[in-house]
Amino acid sequence: MNGIEKARGILENYDGPDCRIMEVCGTHTHEIFRQGIRRILSPKIHLISGPGCPVCVTPVSFIDEAIYLALEKDCTICTFGDLVRVPGSELSLQTARGRGARVRIVYSPQDAQVYAKNHPDEQVVFLSIGFETTTPSCCIAVRNAAADHTGNFMILTANKTMPAAYDAMKDSTDLFLYPGHVHAITGTKVCEDLVGQGVSGVCAGFTGRELLTALAVAVSEYQKGKPFFRNCYPRVVRPEGSPAAQAMVAEMMEPCDAQWRGIGTLPDSGMRLRPAYADFDARIRCDIPPIEGHANPGCRCGDVLRGEITPHDCPLFGKVCTPEQPVGACMVSSEGACSAWYLYGEETGGISHE
Amino acid sequence: MCVGISAKVVGIKDGTALVDANGARRTVSAYLLDELEPGDFVMIHAGSAIAKITDEDESETDALLEDL
Amino acid sequence: MNDTVTMAHGAGGKQTSELIQKVFRAHFENPYFTADDASVLPAPKGRIAMTTDGFIVSPQFFPGGNIGKLSICGTVNDLSCMGAKPLYMTCAFVIEEGFEMAKLEEIAAAMEKTANEVGVRLVAGDTKVAGKGQCGGVFITTTGIGEIQEGIETSGKLARPGDAVIVTGDVGRHGCAILLARDEYGIDADVTSDCAPLWKPVEAALNAVPDIHVIRDATRGGVGTVLYEIAAESGVGVCLDQSKIPVDDKVRGVTGMLGLEPLYLACEGRLVMICPQEKADRLVEVLRGQKYTENAVIIGTITKEHAGRVIMTTEIGTQTLLPEPGNELLPRIC
Repeated sequence: MNGIEKARGILENYDGPDCRIMEVCGTHTHEIFRQGIRRILSPKIHLISGPGCPVCVTPVSFIDEAIYLALEKDCTICTFGDLVRVPGSELSLQTARGRGARVRIVYSPQDAQVYAKNHPDEQVVFLSIGFETTTPSCCIAVRNAAADHTGNFMILTANKTMPAAYDAMKDSTDLFLYPGHVHAITGTKVCEDLVGQGVSGVCAGFTGRELLTALAVAVSEYQKGKPFFRNCYPRVVRPEGSPAAQAMVAEMMEPCDAQWRGIGTLPDSGMRLRPAYADFDARIRCDIPPIEGHANPGCRCGDVLRGEITPHDCPLFGKVCTPEQPVGACMVSSEGACSAWYLYGEETGGISHE
Repeated sequence: MCVGISAKVVGIKDGTALVDANGARRTVSAYLLDELEPGDFVMIHAGSAIAKITDEDESETDALLEDL
Repeated sequence: MNDTVTMAHGAGGKQTSELIQKVFRAHFENPYFTADDASVLPAPKGRIAMTTDGFIVSPQFFPGGNIGKLSICGTVNDLSCMGAKPLYMTCAFVIEEGFEMAKLEEIAAAMEKTANEVGVRLVAGDTKVAGKGQCGGVFITTTGIGEIQEGIETSGKLARPGDAVIVTGDVGRHGCAILLARDEYGIDADVTSDCAPLWKPVEAALNAVPDIHVIRDATRGGVGTVLYEIAAESGVGVCLDQSKIPVDDKVRGVTGMLGLEPLYLACEGRLVMICPQEKADRLVEVLRGQKYTENAVIIGTITKEHAGRVIMTTEIGTQTLLPEPGNELLPRIC
C-alpha cells in the first residue's frame, strides 16, 4: 500500500500550476471513474476525457453501412459487443436485428473468420474498428481467411491511428495520459517526438495502482516546467513496440483519411486494406454506395471529445440521452465519457456532495 | 480503448498460444510475438497476445515512484 | 413411449396421460399430486407467501444443474427470502415438439431431487407442446406457496442505516457458467453454477437471528442489481468494500477477458442478507455452518447518505459509485 499512498499524497496535495490531463483512452476514463480517482485529485488537476474510444469516434455512416450490408445484402455481421447499441442514422445494429439482420457478437476478429469458414453459405462481414492495438488482430483474421480460402469473409474497416488525434488534441490539454496498449504496439517514438513539439505525456497502465502512479509522475514532471515523456508502463510498453505487428499491418493496410465522430476528417488517420487484399474489403466486394450519416444535431459528443465541454454541459445529457437510450456514441460505449459521467453519478455531482 | 488481460502461456501450437488467466483458458494468436514459451506472461487483447510482460505491477510502480 | 415429445403429447388424450404418468407422476408422486382439476391442500396456520417464476435458460443443461433444478430453486429461494417454509409447488411445462424424452426425464428427476431436499411438494402440473421452433426446448413455470415463520418479517423496505450487508457466497457464478456453456467466445474454464435450494440455510439463519431485515436472492442482474433495488426500496445507501466481495478466480478470469463485471452476473444460489450490525457476526457464523452458504461474508454496510445508491471502497482506498446495472451484458474490447 506504500506506493499507492505516496502517489495519492502527490495527487491530493499537488499545488503547482493548473494542469489539464487528457486521458486519450476510453479504458482509462472508465478505470479512473471505477477507481474513484477523480475524487482525490487536487483542484489544480483537471482530467479531460479525450477521443480514445474507437466506438465513440466511429461515424454514424459506418453503422449505416453495416446495417446496409445486413439488411440489403443479407450479410451476417460479426462485431465486438461494444458496437451493437451505437445509433446509426435511423437504426442501431440491435434494432436492425429486430428487422431480421443477422448480428453475431464475437470475442475476436479471428473468431469471425472461423465462423465464416464454418458457414460457407453466409457472407460474413466483421466490423473492423479499433486503434493500433486492435488492428493487428483484424489483419490476422484476414491473413487466416486468405490462407484458408475463406472467400465468404470480409471486413468493413474503420480502423484508426492515434498520432493524428494527438495532433488535433494537443492544444486542448497540458499533457496526455497515453494509452498503454496502443503504445505496446507502436512503441514510444511518437511520444518522444511530440516532446520536441512541446507536447508532454506519460504512458500508463490500467490498474488503480498503475493509473495513480502515472498521474503522480505526470504532475510531478509537469511542475518542473519542461516538456517531457515518461513511460510508466514499461512492463508492457517497450520503446520499439511490436515490430511484428507494425510490419504486418504495413504490409496489409494503408493509411487513408478518416472521419472521426465529433472531430471531423483527419488526414491519414484511418487504415484500409491494400488493393492486394481487396477481396476481403466489404466496401469493394459488396459495392456499398456512398452513405451520408445523420447524427442527432443536438448531440455535443464532438465538443466532449475535444474536451471543450464536460458531458453535463450538453443539453441532451441525462435527459434524452442515457445509457438505456443513447443519442450520441459517447453515451453508448461504456468507455465513452458521457456514459462514465452518467453511470458514476457525475451528473448529480457524484457521491461526494450529498 | 483496449481491454487487456494478462495471462500465462500454457501451450504453443501452429502460431497460436493457449493462455490461462486465473483458470480461464482460451486460444489466442501468437503471431505478433516471437519466441513465446510456456510459462511466459502476455497481455491479451481481442484474441491476440500483444506483448510479452512481467506479471506484476507493484515493483514497477514502486520503482517509478521512488524518484519523486 | 416415443423417444421424443410429439404434438400428440399435448393433445390431451391417451399420449398426454401417458407422458404425465411415465415422466411426471413417476417423479412427482406424493399424496397431494392430483389427477383432479385442482389439488386440495391443508391450510397452513399463519400467513402464507406465494410466488411464481418462468424459466427459459439456454442451454437447458449446464455444469451444476439443468432447467428443472433451476425451476425448483428459483421458487424455493423466492419463498425463503420472505422467511416462508416452502410447502407446495405447481409446475407448467411448455415443451417444444421433438424434445428428447430422455432429457425431459432428466429434468423431472432433477426437480424431484431438489424438491425432496427442501421438503416441498409438487401438487399440480400442466403440460403443453409447442410446435417446432415456437419455443426453445422446454420452458418451465413454477408457482410456490410457503408458510411464513412466526415473528419473521423480511422486506426490501426494511434495510436501516448501520445494518450489515452479507452475501452468502461468491458472486456471478451462474451467469458465468451459462455464458461458458453457450460456448460463444471460445473460453474454457471450470466454472459450475451455484444453483441451489436455500431454504435450509435461511431457516437456520432465521432461527439464530430472527430480526434479519432483508433477504433477497441475487438472480437476474446479480448482486449489484439486488443492492440497487434494496437501496431504492428502503431509501438508504449501500456502502461496499470492494476487497470483501467474493469472486471465484476463474470467474474473474472469464469476466476479465470479456470486460464484464461479476457483480452484474446472475447467481442462482446466493442471497444478500441485511441485518443489524451487532447480529452480523453471529449470522455469518450460522450461515457458514450450513450447506450452500459456507462462504458467507460481510461485504458492506447500509448508510443514511447516498440514498438509492451503491458506493464502493476501492483497492486504492477511494470511494466510487457502483454503476447502476441496466443494459444487456455484452463483451467489450474497449
